[in-house]
Amino acid sequence: MTFEALAGQTISGISLGMVWFLIAVGLSIIFGTLKVLNLAHGSLYMLGSYTCYQVTTSLAPLAGNFWLAVLLAPLVVALVGGLIEVFLLRPIYKAEMLYQYILTFALVLIIAEVCKIIWGAGYHSISVPWPFKGSVRLFGLTFPQYNLFLIVMGAVVFMGLRLLINHTSLGRIIRAVTHNREMANALGVNVPWVYTGVFMLGSWLAGLAGCLWPPMSAVTLGSDMAVVIDCFIIVVIGGLGSLSGAFLGAIILGLTTAYGVLFVPKLAVAFGFILMVIILIIRPWGLLGEPE
Amino acid sequence: MAQDRSFSSFLGIGLPAALIMVGLLAALISLPLYVGQSWVSITTEMLIMSLAACALNIMLGYTGLVSFGPAGLYAVGAYTTAIFLQKLGLSIAPSMLAAPVLAGLIGAIVGWICVRRTAVYFALLTLAFSQIIWTVIFEWYAVTGGDDGLTSLPIPDFFFNISNCYYFTLFVVGVCTFIIWKIINSPFGQTLKAIRENRNRVEFIGVNTKRYQLGAFVLSSLFLGISGSLYCVFSGSVFPNFAYWVKSADMLVICLLGGVYNFSGPLVGTLIYTLLTKIIADYTTHWHLFLGGIIIFIILVMRNGVVGTLADLWARKKQKQL
Amino acid sequence: MGRIALKAVGLIAAVWFLTVFIFLTPAVQAAEKPIKIGFIHTMSGPISMYGIASSAGAQIAVDEINAGGGVLGRKLELIVRDDKLSPETGLREAKDLVLKNEVDFLTGTISSAVALAISDYASKAKKLYFINIAQSTQMTEEKFHPYVFRFTTNATPYFGYGPAIALAQTFKSKKIISLGWDYEAGKNGLKQFKEKYLELVPDAKIIDELWAPIGSTDFTAQITKIANSGADCIYLAAIYGGGELAFTKQAQAFGLYEKMKMVQPSAGDIESWSNWKQGDPNPKGALTTCRYPFWALKGEKNAAFAKKVLEMTKLEPSYGSLNAYITVYAIKDAVTKAGSTDTEKVIKALEGMTMKTFVGDVKMRAFDHQAMMPTWYGIMDVTPALPFPHITNIKQLGEESYHTIDQIKKIRGQ
Repeated sequence: MTFEALAGQTISGISLGMVWFLIAVGLSIIFGTLKVLNLAHGSLYMLGSYTCYQVTTSLAPLAGNFWLAVLLAPLVVALVGGLIEVFLLRPIYKAEMLYQYILTFALVLIIAEVCKIIWGAGYHSISVPWPFKGSVRLFGLTFPQYNLFLIVMGAVVFMGLRLLINHTSLGRIIRAVTHNREMANALGVNVPWVYTGVFMLGSWLAGLAGCLWPPMSAVTLGSDMAVVIDCFIIVVIGGLGSLSGAFLGAIILGLTTAYGVLFVPKLAVAFGFILMVIILIIRPWGLLGEPE
Repeated sequence: MAQDRSFSSFLGIGLPAALIMVGLLAALISLPLYVGQSWVSITTEMLIMSLAACALNIMLGYTGLVSFGPAGLYAVGAYTTAIFLQKLGLSIAPSMLAAPVLAGLIGAIVGWICVRRTAVYFALLTLAFSQIIWTVIFEWYAVTGGDDGLTSLPIPDFFFNISNCYYFTLFVVGVCTFIIWKIINSPFGQTLKAIRENRNRVEFIGVNTKRYQLGAFVLSSLFLGISGSLYCVFSGSVFPNFAYWVKSADMLVICLLGGVYNFSGPLVGTLIYTLLTKIIADYTTHWHLFLGGIIIFIILVMRNGVVGTLADLWARKKQKQL
Repeated sequence: MGRIALKAVGLIAAVWFLTVFIFLTPAVQAAEKPIKIGFIHTMSGPISMYGIASSAGAQIAVDEINAGGGVLGRKLELIVRDDKLSPETGLREAKDLVLKNEVDFLTGTISSAVALAISDYASKAKKLYFINIAQSTQMTEEKFHPYVFRFTTNATPYFGYGPAIALAQTFKSKKIISLGWDYEAGKNGLKQFKEKYLELVPDAKIIDELWAPIGSTDFTAQITKIANSGADCIYLAAIYGGGELAFTKQAQAFGLYEKMKMVQPSAGDIESWSNWKQGDPNPKGALTTCRYPFWALKGEKNAAFAKKVLEMTKLEPSYGSLNAYITVYAIKDAVTKAGSTDTEKVIKALEGMTMKTFVGDVKMRAFDHQAMMPTWYGIMDVTPALPFPHITNIKQLGEESYHTIDQIKKIRGQ
């Protein structure tokens, strides 16, 4: 086990973690403010990936078509999220969490079927965009530039969100509504629209991830299911509603997977759930969450 | 806010309800005489599923414990019977009796951990445990057959006869449903309902709510195990998807469809769900769309399910008459 | 008086018609009663393209046979049901087809779990079940029973022996590392690949076996380890579809395709490339097996079939459609040879039967009811002539890529 191999595995783990953070952060934000366990989060991710594929292909002869898609597709997903929130979730906020969970489950069924009807059952491909098509030599590895780009994007998104939440007035409003809905309402905040805005932000983030990860993987049906459970694990470990927690949780999962593959490959599969259970037992609000 | 519905639980009390029960029983008992074998087989499946839904509803509707992982305990029951039959070579009786025992045991362990947490965390814990059970089943090829499942189980030929299997299932499900009905309407059940309504108040009068919640969890697991075992015998095979979170979601949908605040809710929900998915799937391969739409409709418009809404209407009609 | 007479006449007429109806029509009906084939497949959800393609292949065969007069004067009827990728649903549909529709034969599906459930039921109901795509060798080996037949290849030539023989005949790599999805098909595929390859190339070594959760598409961690492993060849264990594309992209980006040989069994399947466009990533240079290289096979029957499938489904013909087509024709041949649809007679007719198909002569091995369908292998490449990546330098494998009878005896503990 050379230092280089270990370092290479570490950077891979960080890449894994950053991708997971990009995918999971929307779920964390939505739960943090709206207290909704959005099973359809993976579906929004998938919708984002299909929309990105569609825009990229439709604008194919244009240079920079992918980057235009990255601009447009998350907005489409945010719009869909907004519609979902206003027409389907708003009526049932007062109801128990069970109804929201099952409603989002219904959305999983519907969104998957809609994607299948529009784009068919086969999988699609988005190519790695210029200027990240090549690779660099890193710790003796041929490391794809695109993965480095994703690591940077993960950090950018994290810091951007932190800036938004902690240093803007909009962020202050979101934090107020998150901490005390009634109080914020009493102070004149239009709580329903804040909810809608936050859900749209979470959806936008899911859509963004749906644009950013597929160039290195695939646009397929079934990616909704593949993604959603991992998101739940990360968000629980990090702390439901905690942005930094989601970041930490994702990095932890990425690194444990990378090292797990290196040292104990057989156990790797069950790791996530076991971690999830341990956290839920000893510290259910997660590593960086706040106890209720 | 849930109202106490034990009064109009069966869409009426006394004579009307009793008549319905007798009529239903008569129809079920004589089913093989006037309906094809294929329908008898589907009805057997529905009976098993309704027992599972009823078991889940002990936690869901009566105690107010939202579990995202009933499928895990259902799978434990099914796999216990399967493993006892195939790997341990035991006969059918101990294999079936072991199912609720093991499911109850695991339910006790999982439940003990879960009831320490409330609401969202409780639900997430049940989900996580169910997924762990799924992972164990999926990975432990030597014992569980992995994702190939366990098939061609040495089930006695008696059960392959569709009518025999049907009557056996009808008997077991009938007895279990009756037992659950008795439990719900006992002082224990009343306490559960009180806990559902206002946990703190019940704590204040000195009741150890956690113990009651654990009791509900274990009872629920017991009957989930029985239904899993019944399905194992009915189909002769078990597969890991019995424990997957999608199956848990299906069970929750069934309870919601029928109505969680009525005893007959899960039973009616099973009927509607099975027939609906079968009929819609025969017409279109896009049945997911319709199922999703129906679920959304129920949640937005008929939150108390079909039975609950009908019971509401009935109660309102009676009020008008007064 | 008139009314009574009318009633009497009516009654006599009714009795007469009833008698005629009861006694004559069965004979008439039997001659016209169609031979029903129950077709269960995954027709909805993410992997429904296999079900759709296969049902098209079966329907084409049914239409051709019926146009030619049917079988023993009776028409064939295909009844298609959706198993929703769930063994419970597949079993329910199988029972419904047998009990309500009274089908003569059952066929289908893609998931081995569903197929196992159906096969189990078929053995108890004593109905013939023809496996369509499901690859698990269990069905014809450990869980064999006389009512199951398989005209498709199984996991041995597809994931195991086929790639092993292919590698032994081409690159003969010595240090192999495997990466698979963590499920039975992956584990079993690797096991069979190992046993065959190490038999053919005894000084080779499998230096590591890596796994990823089933359905995952991020192999960065595993690929990094592979890049540092010093292996000269990667074997992909049952990673297909979107996962395979993801692996291909990541492996190429990490430079693995330049450093080592790639053995990717699923890449040759046409379903993988239904939406592929020129310029998209592809596993160029990978060694792969293919179950129906329709573009490379000669003969007008092959071309005609390919064209019909394309017209019907807007998809290129896949092996699922090929095998469904062959299966229906096998049913026709066997029933004709047996002179009836009686199950035992049809079994006798099928065992040892050799089908003359447009992919060659295919023998049905009596011992395990597994047809010796050929598998092809080659090197993946992209040519402007075809709209999808495909194998080149194609070689065909036959019976040698299946378990031998002795091996199966050992597996069954005989």
